[in-house]
Amino acid sequence: MLSHLRTIPLLPLLGAAYLILVGRHHSRRAVHHIACMAVGAALVVSADAFFFGLPALVKEGGLTDVVGTWFASGDLRVDLALRMDALSGLMCLVVTLVGTLIHIYSTGYMAHDKDYARFFAYLNLFCGAMLLLVLGDNLPVMFIGWEGVGLCSYLLIGFWYGETANASAGKKAFITNRVGDLGFLIGMFLLFRAAGTLDIPALLDTARGGGAVLTATLWWGQPVAFWAALFLFFGAAGKSAQIPLYVWLPDAMAGPTPVSALIHAATMVTAGVYMVARLGAMYLLAPAALAIVAGVGALTALFAAVIALGQNDFKKILAYSTISQLGFMFVGVGTGNFAGGIFHLFTHAFFKAGLFLCAGSVMHALGGSGDITRMGGLAGKLPWTTWVFRVCWLAICGVPIFSGFFSKDAIVAGAFATEVFGPRLAWVSPTVGAGLLAAALGTAFYMSRLYYLVFTGECRADTRGHLHESPIEMVGPLVVFGLGAFLAGMAGLPPAVGGSRADLIGHWLAPAVGPPLEVSSGFEWRMMVASTVIALAGIGLARLFFGGGAREPARRFVAALPRLVAVVRSKFFVDEIYQWLVVRPLRGLSRGLFVVVDRILIDELLVGGWTFLVDTIGRFLRLVQVGDVQRYLAIFAMGLAALVYVMARPAAPSELKIRIEGRSAVVELGDREATSGKLDYGFDFDGDGREDRSGPSPNATWSYTRPGRYRLRIRVTDPQWSTARTIERTIDIR
Amino acid sequence: MPTYAYILVSLALFFVGTAGVLLRRNALIVLMSVELQLAAGTLALLAFSRALGDQKGHVFAFFVMALAAAEAAVGLAIVVSVFRTRRTANLDDVNALKG
Amino acid sequence: MNLATHTATLAETIVFAVLSAGVLLGGLLTITRRNPVSAVMALVLTFAALAGLFATLSAHFLAVLQVLVYAGAIMVLFVFVVMMVNHEETTPIARQGLITRAVGVLAAGTVFYRAAWLVARERAMPLLAASETPPVKDFGTVSAVGALLFSDFLFPFEAISLLLLVAIIGGVMLTRHFREDGSRGS
Repeated sequence: MLSHLRTIPLLPLLGAAYLILVGRHHSRRAVHHIACMAVGAALVVSADAFFFGLPALVKEGGLTDVVGTWFASGDLRVDLALRMDALSGLMCLVVTLVGTLIHIYSTGYMAHDKDYARFFAYLNLFCGAMLLLVLGDNLPVMFIGWEGVGLCSYLLIGFWYGETANASAGKKAFITNRVGDLGFLIGMFLLFRAAGTLDIPALLDTARGGGAVLTATLWWGQPVAFWAALFLFFGAAGKSAQIPLYVWLPDAMAGPTPVSALIHAATMVTAGVYMVARLGAMYLLAPAALAIVAGVGALTALFAAVIALGQNDFKKILAYSTISQLGFMFVGVGTGNFAGGIFHLFTHAFFKAGLFLCAGSVMHALGGSGDITRMGGLAGKLPWTTWVFRVCWLAICGVPIFSGFFSKDAIVAGAFATEVFGPRLAWVSPTVGAGLLAAALGTAFYMSRLYYLVFTGECRADTRGHLHESPIEMVGPLVVFGLGAFLAGMAGLPPAVGGSRADLIGHWLAPAVGPPLEVSSGFEWRMMVASTVIALAGIGLARLFFGGGAREPARRFVAALPRLVAVVRSKFFVDEIYQWLVVRPLRGLSRGLFVVVDRILIDELLVGGWTFLVDTIGRFLRLVQVGDVQRYLAIFAMGLAALVYVMARPAAPSELKIRIEGRSAVVELGDREATSGKLDYGFDFDGDGREDRSGPSPNATWSYTRPGRYRLRIRVTDPQWSTARTIERTIDIR
Repeated sequence: MPTYAYILVSLALFFVGTAGVLLRRNALIVLMSVELQLAAGTLALLAFSRALGDQKGHVFAFFVMALAAAEAAVGLAIVVSVFRTRRTANLDDVNALKG
Repeated sequence: MNLATHTATLAETIVFAVLSAGVLLGGLLTITRRNPVSAVMALVLTFAALAGLFATLSAHFLAVLQVLVYAGAIMVLFVFVVMMVNHEETTPIARQGLITRAVGVLAAGTVFYRAAWLVARERAMPLLAASETPPVKDFGTVSAVGALLFSDFLFPFEAISLLLLVAIIGGVMLTRHFREDGSRGS
């Protein structure tokens, strides 16, 4: 089935192109109208496709749109093809919806920025690239979007490039992502080598059929599917900020807050989760790779949650929270619970975007500062923001009814219940489940700490007189996200709560990622109770420590364990370790190469050496250049004469016979036609330098007195031309 | 007269021209010596042309003459130009291309 | 090939000897005169005698051209330039690099000597012995040479006219006077 899917990414891309080219000549109104229209139209088109085109075809693989052949080389043929199936349709809808809302929010947040058009151009470009990533029907097209969103992330993190810190944060994000992209590329190459195609449906069909080409052993006893999955996951870890490549995301908060909400919380960073879910069938072939995905996810979830406990910057806390929640999603997809992972992605998009927009609203009100120790008591001043924040906070903590509760619970229950790892790796499942529960406790605690420090107690900000709620274009999207954070969970109620048909998302995604994970009803209930207890415990503990500002227990805790607190506050020194392990050796190597190869080898030896050589030869040869035409001509005449002399020499003897008769040697040259009269011959038989025979005869005989080895020298002279030729031979006389 | 006599005269004249080119200091005389060499060439062309009974030699002699005229025009222009800037027509003073 | 030989008459020999002597003497005088004007006059003598030699070779057209173009036009050009650049030389032969140039002259001399000797030795071969105007109609006349020029050699003929045009433009440009500020003067 062909459709016009191409319009979905094309609309924002056109908007971006237009704004980059002529945007700065337009008024702010015109700029944001164009930008919002472009994304809004993409939202309308994708909603139309999702709700009216897709349902009828969801069993047959969804809607496709082949724009044309992108490139073909040998066996490789890559079409510029788009596909909207159950999974990509849902993602498409999330991206366009969140994108549109954040565009609207940005019109308020960025209202006073001088580079208005550039900002919206980048935002549009991002949406286009993200939609290409989501809709791409084969890995290379997906990779265009993958790289495109990375580029936009870089451009937007460093949007205020005037400050070096922002520019370096952008570079850090870009370079870290490139490291991951290498993994993506290698994974792609492995898949092409094994399966001969990069089309995602073809790959998945191969994988679902058991795919001998994918289960063949590649390295170290592991199948192709394992290595491809592992390398692709490395790419996903870069994009989705998982250990070991998460370090860029906290720094990425240097960008404008709407960017953090859109790119670094709701959409781009979830691309890795999306990719793993998209290739789920292939991952299922390699339980070990799934175990690694789940393990890394759980570790990241816990690690980031712990770091978030010690942070004091509003956006940094949210960034670590995002990393932690992405870890949850990876556990979801890594336990074969693809629907659960995507469900959490879906709810997370709402509550995390909401939280970020609240952060933007708070910072907007406070004039840009994000230090939570300088906030407090904002609940009364910013009523709308506070209410939305409360909803999102409860959602991320996992308080029942709110969306995060259901999605997080789906992942945690799935982690305990999954059987995807097989008997040998069965221990992975409870381990990651326990890790997630600990991370959930941490999440509830740090998010509550954030809430209490910012919104309750005394106001510690300097600008308390000027505090004001944000304008309507910012509050509007906030409220929508708040509603989403509250209600999105209804899309995926567990069967234990709503009956067998309640898990809308799970059933909807089934054609794309397989049926939802079966969890027994009793276990489900027990898990929900445990989750609720953990969430409430975290919140209660935080209230005890930080309710209405930092309290006595918190101070005592810090005083009791100063070292631990210091380590957590400094984020376990990961940046410093990377600096020592990666950056410094690389820098040293570069410096060494620069000195040895560039300075010495190329500059001194090659460049300098050649110039020295040419210079020296030139100094010598310039003596020949006397600048006097007549002398040149005289030398030319000499050369001519020499040439004539050489050409006029007697030719080499056509035949030379040396016969040895006893003690006598007979030489016969044969009489040859001379150019003038007769030639003159000379024979030196004993090599003493004197000619023993000479005259016009070409033949001569000589008797030796003693046996031995003699040097025979024959001279032929043309007397008219005064030219001569000498022939030498060695003869043995016995 | 037999052709070789003309050729000998031509060779002698060419040598005289060469000697003039190589030895004389005055650029004008050098140019005249070049004219001598060209004339010697013309003579040889015409002598062989007669010996072979082929008038193409005459055509080439004609071309040589036109070439000589062009050479004289440009050569003399250069001499004038050099004389104007350096107040000399001596070849040993014109060695700006000395290395 | 149509080669014909006949024994030269005494008159022919005398004419040839006189003209050859004129050519060589004129050449020698040209390269030995200190005064450029004398050299030009000697050159005129050379060219006049050479025109005579051309005539004995039945090259009537070229003989006329030799007088008109060389002895006429080109010599006038030389005289003009000599007038502009006239100065008698104190040292007609530069001292600088004299040895090199003398050796060059000697080297050239050996080459010409060899060539002359070879011609003399092989004087009996038909090409070098030919001594009569071939029985070709109108040999060397204006009409015969002109017919060749405008048929077989039309393209080279046009090319040579282009060469002359280039020489004219080059001569004009070279002798144009430039002021120090780079603008053209008269």
